[in-house]
Amino acid sequence: MRFWEIGNRNLKELYRDPVALAFLLGMPLVFILIFSFAFGGQATRPISIGVVDEDQSQISAAFVGCLENIPALEVASPVYKSQSEAEKELNTGGLSIYLLIPHGFGKAVERQQTVDLALAYNQVDPMLPQRVMPMVRAVALEFLNIPVPLNIELSQREAEIKDEYINYLIPGMAVFGLMILITSVGGIMVRDRVKGFLSRLMTTPARPSDFIFGYTLPFIPVIIISIATYFGVGILVGLSIIGNIGLAFLILFIIGICCMGIGMIIGTLAKSEEQALGAPWIFIVPLVMISGAWWPVEQMPSVIKGIAEALPFLHAMDACRDVVTRGASFTGILPDLYWLIGWTMALFALGIVLFRRSMAR
Amino acid sequence: MDAIQTFKLTRRFNSLVAVDGIDLKIAEGELFSLLGPNGAGKTTTINMLCCLLKPTEGTAQIMGYDIIKQPFKIKQTIGVSPQETAISEHLNSWENLALIGKIHGMSSDEVKRRSGELLEVMGLMERGKDRVGKFSGGMKRRLSIAMAMVHNPSILFLDEPTLGLDPQARRATWEHIAQLKERKTILLTTHYMEEADFLSDRVAIIDEGKIVAMGTPRQLKANFLKTRTMLILAENITPEIMQGLKSRYSQVKEVGGKLGISDENLDFRELTDYLHSNGAVVRSAALEKPTLEDVFIHLTGKEIRE
Repeated sequence: MRFWEIGNRNLKELYRDPVALAFLLGMPLVFILIFSFAFGGQATRPISIGVVDEDQSQISAAFVGCLENIPALEVASPVYKSQSEAEKELNTGGLSIYLLIPHGFGKAVERQQTVDLALAYNQVDPMLPQRVMPMVRAVALEFLNIPVPLNIELSQREAEIKDEYINYLIPGMAVFGLMILITSVGGIMVRDRVKGFLSRLMTTPARPSDFIFGYTLPFIPVIIISIATYFGVGILVGLSIIGNIGLAFLILFIIGICCMGIGMIIGTLAKSEEQALGAPWIFIVPLVMISGAWWPVEQMPSVIKGIAEALPFLHAMDACRDVVTRGASFTGILPDLYWLIGWTMALFALGIVLFRRSMAR
Repeated sequence: MDAIQTFKLTRRFNSLVAVDGIDLKIAEGELFSLLGPNGAGKTTTINMLCCLLKPTEGTAQIMGYDIIKQPFKIKQTIGVSPQETAISEHLNSWENLALIGKIHGMSSDEVKRRSGELLEVMGLMERGKDRVGKFSGGMKRRLSIAMAMVHNPSILFLDEPTLGLDPQARRATWEHIAQLKERKTILLTTHYMEEADFLSDRVAIIDEGKIVAMGTPRQLKANFLKTRTMLILAENITPEIMQGLKSRYSQVKEVGGKLGISDENLDFRELTDYLHSNGAVVRSAALEKPTLEDVFIHLTGKEIRE
């Protein structure tokens, strides 16, 4: 169990350096707060509501005008003419709720008959109907001005995707954030090499695999805590996970291991600590950009898209997003998973080969 | 059986020949020093013997094991204190020692007992539980040497064990190494003459990858005693005078602005007369008491410390 002894030492080195540790574990938190503050902010925004005006009368148009005057509501424009358009938006997540003004609305108002309205919503925000219903009722009563029987029908739909940006952002941020493991693992290895500590260990009967595991295992808790932070804080700022959270966790865990593999290779090849800590960011940041951490890769040139698709990061983000926003199953993300596992195994194999070479140059 | 034997051990880095066909035989229980300036090939030699570097040509045996074919066997028998202090800064002394001991397969009890002994010998017991990052240079060195010994290796490699220490700490470290001397085969590298002189049973002087002299410190100096060296500070030394000196004496070197002139049974008066009669002005002249440094200068024509 030599790897255990090396791992134990590295665990102590890592966890007894409070500044480095705070940086490592605090980064997900800072990351998520900055990004969700910059791009999120749903809580203070008016509720976006679609309106379907099937009636197409002057009265219904005036009613829509009243709705538009409510500051707490943001009526999506243009107003839909048919219910099917709004249904489509609801289904794809473009809308979370819409109000249907049916045929005969104007006539019913004129005749002071029972006025029917309908609200349809998807599962993105279960609290939405409870917030919107009283507003619509109040506007309707105000508009009608005389007590008329008002009937608002509520119905829920299952949306297929959740298109909230935060749900798109968090998987991307988590993958980007886990890439710090590249420099963490690379850094500790290079530091030990520069200070001769690795040479000392190499004069003991420890095998290459002992080093590989000894230098990566201590970071497993970092991966787990980081992912938990991304999901935990993410949920607090509005992330909702439709699929199996365990599956999403697994995907991020594998990309974390993959990043440690890259770190190991950098730790073996880099000549100085500065190289190991600085150089990786030259490719990490562009890689993350072209892998679609912040915006979809669909609009990118095909060459760049091709590069992104060949590398593991896009696959990790895509698979994680599929689970989070579409509830993809294990078999659904299997192609991405194969890609991730393949990369991880290849990187570790290369890491061991390079390390073995560095042991007896 | 010799503890260490090398056979035309050679290492090249591209066009640079760092170690050039070294043949060494070090007996069990011997303290052997490789003495030479920086870049002479000392560390490269040690790294090859510790299986960190592969020789380009030749090979070596440690306790009968071949460094190319049986590195794993060798790593079980040796202890190494590298030139860099190479300790784990966030761990305390006990933990540093336990790491190496346990990698060598020692039980917790063994490690504890042995670490206690070593911390006592090395004078580190009092600060044993402190993180070693805060240690002084001398303490770090001592811990580094203790780490090389925790698993009780039969051969100890100490690469520049007193590098960067102040004279007092250096002296203390020597005392500690001297205490180990009886029980171990030790191969030590140094560029401090006094260190090699004080500690070694035998010394090999190494320069530009080659061994230029080998023997006990006393032998090396005694061999050198036959030739005497005058260090002369003089003015008006013309090329003709230099030419004349070179034809008369076995060695004429410029060392630190002075002329170092060596020959067997060198006659002081004859030398100064020659200089005077040719118009040179002698400002000072001194007969050198031989040290290992003189041996080195004599052999290589350069000073060991740059």
